[in-house]
Amino acid sequence: MSAALAQVRRVAPLVSRIVAAIVGGYALAALTSVAALALPIAAPQGVITGMLASFVVYTCVVIGVFLARSARRAWGGLLIAAVPLLLASWSVWTSAGGAK
Amino acid sequence: MANPNDATPQVRDNGRAPKSAKSTKSTGTQSKGVRQSMSDLHTWAGLLVGWLLYAMFLTGTVSYFKEEISQWMRPELAHQQQVPDPAAVSQRVATTLATLADGTTQWSVQLPTARSNLASAFWRTPPGSAQKGMFQEGVFDPATGHAVTARDTLGGEFFYRFHFQFYYMPVMWGRWLAGLCAMFMLVAIVSGVITHKKIFVDFFTFRWGKGQRSWLDAHNALSVFGLPFHLMITYTGLVTLMTMYMPWAGEVALKSAAQRQEVAAQLNAFIRPGKRQGVAAPLANVDRMVREAQARWGENNVLRVTVTNPGDASARVAVSRGEALRVSVSPQYLLFDGVSGKLLETHDHVGGAAETRGVLYALHMGRFGDLPARWLYFIVSLAGTAMVGTGLVMWTVKRRQKLPDPMRPYFGFRLVERLNIASIAGLSIAMTGYLWSNRLLPVALPHRADTEINAFFAIWAATLLYALVRPAKRAWIELLWLAAALLALLPVLNALTTQRPFWRSVAQGDFVFAGFDLMMWALAALHAALAWRTATHRPREKAAGKRATATLPQEEEA
Amino acid sequence: MVGLTLGLCVMAFAFLALGMERHQQAVLGRALDAGRTRGFRIAGWCALVITLRMIVGEAGWAMGLVYYAGCTSLAAGIVYGAILWRQRARA
Repeated sequence: MSAALAQVRRVAPLVSRIVAAIVGGYALAALTSVAALALPIAAPQGVITGMLASFVVYTCVVIGVFLARSARRAWGGLLIAAVPLLLASWSVWTSAGGAK
Repeated sequence: MANPNDATPQVRDNGRAPKSAKSTKSTGTQSKGVRQSMSDLHTWAGLLVGWLLYAMFLTGTVSYFKEEISQWMRPELAHQQQVPDPAAVSQRVATTLATLADGTTQWSVQLPTARSNLASAFWRTPPGSAQKGMFQEGVFDPATGHAVTARDTLGGEFFYRFHFQFYYMPVMWGRWLAGLCAMFMLVAIVSGVITHKKIFVDFFTFRWGKGQRSWLDAHNALSVFGLPFHLMITYTGLVTLMTMYMPWAGEVALKSAAQRQEVAAQLNAFIRPGKRQGVAAPLANVDRMVREAQARWGENNVLRVTVTNPGDASARVAVSRGEALRVSVSPQYLLFDGVSGKLLETHDHVGGAAETRGVLYALHMGRFGDLPARWLYFIVSLAGTAMVGTGLVMWTVKRRQKLPDPMRPYFGFRLVERLNIASIAGLSIAMTGYLWSNRLLPVALPHRADTEINAFFAIWAATLLYALVRPAKRAWIELLWLAAALLALLPVLNALTTQRPFWRSVAQGDFVFAGFDLMMWALAALHAALAWRTATHRPREKAAGKRATATLPQEEEA
Repeated sequence: MVGLTLGLCVMAFAFLALGMERHQQAVLGRALDAGRTRGFRIAGWCALVITLRMIVGEAGWAMGLVYYAGCTSLAAGIVYGAILWRQRARA
């Protein structure tokens, strides 16, 4: 039993990073695509810009997650990066909802 | 890369892939170092999707010549000496579609070009029709406008579609899978570059025939030569399907249909059918509209005619500009009233971000290029394919040296080894087999196009079975020789089963057919060279202090 | 035009290769002095720049950059293969 537990403990940080990279990366990329609409450009161009930028962000996040010195730091970095993106996305969401 | 202690979990052969060895390393308390962690990331990102990536790369590479492949696969259609007049062709096809697609709300025809000798069209399935699916498609003879009388085949389009949506699965799943692979590839590229800081010194270093190192150096060289291309092709590949992969900006910000249309108009000329007026009105002659477009863009620079609500008073016709020498796919089209034929709108520019996306999309497709540009694309893309292939093979070469018992490798190793054989040598055989089936299947066979495709997959599956039952090295050699033979004999089969043997194609100046035969022989030579090299390869390097020399001959038979 | 571009790129990469001792040994059988080595490197980079200027001038920025990217990739591969071949022939 404890051998299995030890095995889980060994693998957990790696699994954590993989989740951070794949899921967290997509989340940040998606947030970036929404946040791009906060830029001072026409909405259609903003939508396209967001999509173009999202893949760059996704790649950088994946690389960053595996460069981080620990899984915890990786998640921390993700959350820190997410804050401005969330703020920008929130403003886009409310203004788009408000425009209706 | 792995230290000798990692051999312990592998010897147990409990069916676990090397992942367990990796996790032992990577969750160690000390930091692994940037290069090491990037190297691991690179290996795993590459290995997990490597076989799919190889297939995507190879089918993508040949897709730069997909029209030529399609021409070869319809030998009944004569060699096109010159491009038929787009206006006349569009009118002929429009007449055919008026009956064939009667009741449809939209049809769109792509006109023949210097590369494609037929008109291909798709249309929305008419409401109330018994046909399945949202769209129907067909290919038409430009000279008559009627359905093409050549053998039923998907042609080179099969490789093209497989490239980004695979097969035997819903189109959306296939595209998501392709996108996933593309993201993994992008990560593999970036991590690969970070791992090799001295990438440009390493680039000019190739130590020949030294076993593990020479594979690594081949992989490095191919990666570095084509680095601008690989980076570009992977990123732009994601861009082509970006509205599917990242729809969130649209979900959040584009609430009304008009807003969505505004963005769509920046991306393509696929006009949507408007509201039908219910007033029957014959469609105006499209050839006059195409002539207007020709006057604006050039005689052979009109690509597509799209019609919405044909037969209704609300009909609209969009005539799109051709692709030649225009490094962007951003929509440029003329919009006409479908009944009066009057020019309503001219769409000839889009916003900055949309134009950027248009350029990126065009760079991926490479359709703007003239022949030299397309050959460059093909060669560098082929190198990219080899890059993926050498990476996959290198993994087994490196791991083989570290096997505690080369006669009984652990499951993960055997899996990778066999999948490599089937995905690389097997794919060449399957693709050539597809071409063979095109010549061998009876012309009148029902569902002929589907049968050719099923043959492709059946052959591919057979190579996997072969790779599983033969010793690995023998499987490589035998399958590579088989590929070489099939490729070399294809022009012979062509000469025996059609009226277009090599010598006649040369005599008639038919560079498509003649070039195709030459390409088959060149590829046959390539596969033969690989087979020969694999057969004569003797690993000269002994793994440092791990195994006695006596085990080496056994290892070769593994 | 593309052929000429490719040829010049091959020349440029050949110069760059000869600007490295390892390849001087492989191709010429001996190392060159520092002056010649630097000369080759400069010549190589100059050739790359000149070729870029030429192809962009002929074909515009869009097509020019595409041709240039393709030619440099292919040329690098050709020079690489040539050095390899020479190494094997000597060995």
